[in-house]
Amino acid sequence: MTDMTRRGILAGSAAAAALLLVGEGAMAQSRRILVLTSNQDIPNFDPHLASGYSTAWMMRNVYDSLVRVEGNPPKPAPLLAESWTISPDGTEYVFKLNPAARFNDGSPVDAAAVVYSFERILRLNRGNVWMIAGIVKPGSIEAVDAQTVRFRLATAFVPFLQVLPWIWIVNPRQVEANKGSDDGQAWLRANVAGSGAFAVRRAEPGNLYELERVAGNWRQGGGNLTGAIWKITRETATQRLMIQRGEAQIALDLTSEDMDTLKNRPGVDLLIEPEYRTFQIKMNTRHGATMDANLRRAISCAFNYQAMLDVAGYADLMTGPLPESIDGFDKTLQPWRTDLARAKEFLARSAHPNGGIKLTITHVSGLEQQRRWALVLLDSLRALNIELEIRSAIWPDLVASCRSPETLSDFFPVYQTANYGDADNLAYAGYHSSRNGNWQNPVYSNPKVDALITSARAEADPEKRRALYAEFQRTVMEDACDIFGVLERRKLALRNTVKGFAFTPVASNAPELFPLSLG
Amino acid sequence: MIRYILRRLLLLVPVLVGLSMLVFTIARLLPGDPVRLAAGPNATPADIASVAKEFGLDRPLLAQYWDYATGLLRGDWGVSIFSRRPVLEDLSTYLPATLELVLAAMILAVAIGIPAGLMAAVYRDRWPDFLSRAVSLGAISMPRFFLGLLFQLGFAMWLGWLPLSGRFPLTEDPPSAITGLLTIDALLSGNFHALGIALQHLALPAIAMSLSPLATITRMMRASTIEVLQQDYVTTERALGLSRGKILFKYVLKNAVSATLTVIGLYFGWLLGGTVLVETVFDWPGLGLYATQAVLTQDFMPIIGVTLCIGTLFVLVNLLVDLVYGLLNPRVRLR
Repeated sequence: MTDMTRRGILAGSAAAAALLLVGEGAMAQSRRILVLTSNQDIPNFDPHLASGYSTAWMMRNVYDSLVRVEGNPPKPAPLLAESWTISPDGTEYVFKLNPAARFNDGSPVDAAAVVYSFERILRLNRGNVWMIAGIVKPGSIEAVDAQTVRFRLATAFVPFLQVLPWIWIVNPRQVEANKGSDDGQAWLRANVAGSGAFAVRRAEPGNLYELERVAGNWRQGGGNLTGAIWKITRETATQRLMIQRGEAQIALDLTSEDMDTLKNRPGVDLLIEPEYRTFQIKMNTRHGATMDANLRRAISCAFNYQAMLDVAGYADLMTGPLPESIDGFDKTLQPWRTDLARAKEFLARSAHPNGGIKLTITHVSGLEQQRRWALVLLDSLRALNIELEIRSAIWPDLVASCRSPETLSDFFPVYQTANYGDADNLAYAGYHSSRNGNWQNPVYSNPKVDALITSARAEADPEKRRALYAEFQRTVMEDACDIFGVLERRKLALRNTVKGFAFTPVASNAPELFPLSLG
Repeated sequence: MIRYILRRLLLLVPVLVGLSMLVFTIARLLPGDPVRLAAGPNATPADIASVAKEFGLDRPLLAQYWDYATGLLRGDWGVSIFSRRPVLEDLSTYLPATLELVLAAMILAVAIGIPAGLMAAVYRDRWPDFLSRAVSLGAISMPRFFLGLLFQLGFAMWLGWLPLSGRFPLTEDPPSAITGLLTIDALLSGNFHALGIALQHLALPAIAMSLSPLATITRMMRASTIEVLQQDYVTTERALGLSRGKILFKYVLKNAVSATLTVIGLYFGWLLGGTVLVETVFDWPGLGLYATQAVLTQDFMPIIGVTLCIGTLFVLVNLLVDLVYGLLNPRVRLR
């Protein structure tokens, strides 16, 4: 036994501390955890109930779908399905599954699992089922053999491949074992039965969700992440500070002001890209003074679009009902722009040639940007001798007001996000009369527009489809049912240590972890 | 004393029944349509009706309340329409974070506010008094969320002394949950490293929360101490030659603190329901944010659950205050 001197103890302690530090450093190196900061919680893990971008982020990393979406413009790419064929009439899709695909409990992802998953979401009738509602009917999906699955669509639906990334495949064995009396909803609310490259390690509702890479997952390769944390940060200023300090690597909900503050900060990359999220001020086409198309046209000409753009920050003015970057946008479309002389001409042809009326706008309370746009509208309408009353309401009240033309205000400002990268998404949800009563299209109805949208959904020839959408856009513009506002650009801040991030205008705020690395 | 406590606890029952009826009715009579919202933007009338049926919202209001009240007795506090998570599960997740924050803020406010008020009264119209009045005025005038942002900039960004936000480092595992209060759990499990980290994270939000009650407690304490110092019995004690410290801490403090106790009780309840801004700034996953989200989406069951939870805690804290009040002031006998 050696003598224990004070110097010896100190030296030993220092060596131990150094070892500890080296150990921690090595551990940090071996654990490559990406932190994403967002203001949205992930309320439920059931892939067939879930909707919203935060949930989409988790689902697309812990579950797999038949196809995934990639690129700009977004295109379907193989995932569980390694190939597919489409019948000439567009009503039959046959998918060949990747034989290597395995759920994380080791069982194969086979055709029966695909059938089970689609039947379950149709049965529950929640979450993303609206994407295939009326298109895929219960009993119309068939497991031809273990690796082949056939869909017989009720009607041809060209964007079918575009919606498939959002219908996730569950492990029937696990769900059946925990089915209970509610089709496994209680179990799947907090558990995962998927084949995704990541699994849930830690869930702290309202705070964070941690995913870790699944050892031996069927998908090999990809980036070097060992895990990721979805950190819920309600205040965007805090998100920005976290990026500045390197506590988070991707911030998803920053404002234009935050982006300006982060410009030229060392170690921070900014991504500002056009996306498919539209903002428009819908007009009540079926009740009150705004039923008059000439009054709506007068308002469309009187509106100060430049002021709206100035308020919006990183955004572009919309030309019509569709974003300019989406396939089907009509480049020859003449947008409504500020022209007071023209506005007065339309007003003279309306039932209120001298104005003298009072209209109402109700915006979402707390959304400062919407309040400012309402002020722009108020100022614009003064030129037509029209008064504007600005009201605010919480979102459920606004949704309730969409029930009928009588309960809806004259103006209803609304954002609309494209869930899949096809013109059908925005056209069908925003302008088809079957959506009346819902907030995306509370009242607008035009049989010609309905027919054009329905035809375009089924038209496989791209040129003919573009022609149908061009006619749709011209008709909607002529009806002046909305003040076509702005297309906000997606604003993401990333630490420059993040590698492998490729922007896609669909779900860019719910990135796939598989290809990402931390440098 | 025990009979008094039991009686007060029994009185809690009608209070909570009344509260639940009131909140239940108000939540149902609000003009919004959370069912339509929960059913999704593309829901058909049949889908909306099916969601309403699933949550029993198609039944008469009285039947719904009866189901809810009997459910409460079985420990079923209902389910959120949006997340479909049981409310009790959510409350047990969010409440500990808020309790930890509010308790820390109140401990700070009481530990600093009472001595500060006492000092201000003893050194009336001298520099300790002026200092305490200036600090109190500043603390009460400054919005908590703004203070929070200033603290973040000063102590986290510029000085780098304390963490920016959250309850615990993101990439570290917190101590195993026993009470849900991280500091207590770290202590109970003997994990002093985790305790230090949890205290570091707690410091800024707790200070931001504590300033308003601290200012009020200081001013209340100052006013009541000045009043007590002018009482005849204090003059008598001085005339009898008792030491200043003995007069102050044995006789004056007990009497002066009684009025402040009521404020402490009230503040505790107020802080429980008013944490949302500080929770937002500091990413503190507590009840305030949960309640705000529920109100904004008119999610009935979480709204009622949070109200009942805060109501119960408020009544219990005030009962505790009454008991301490009785202990401090023998003239107030609890029967």
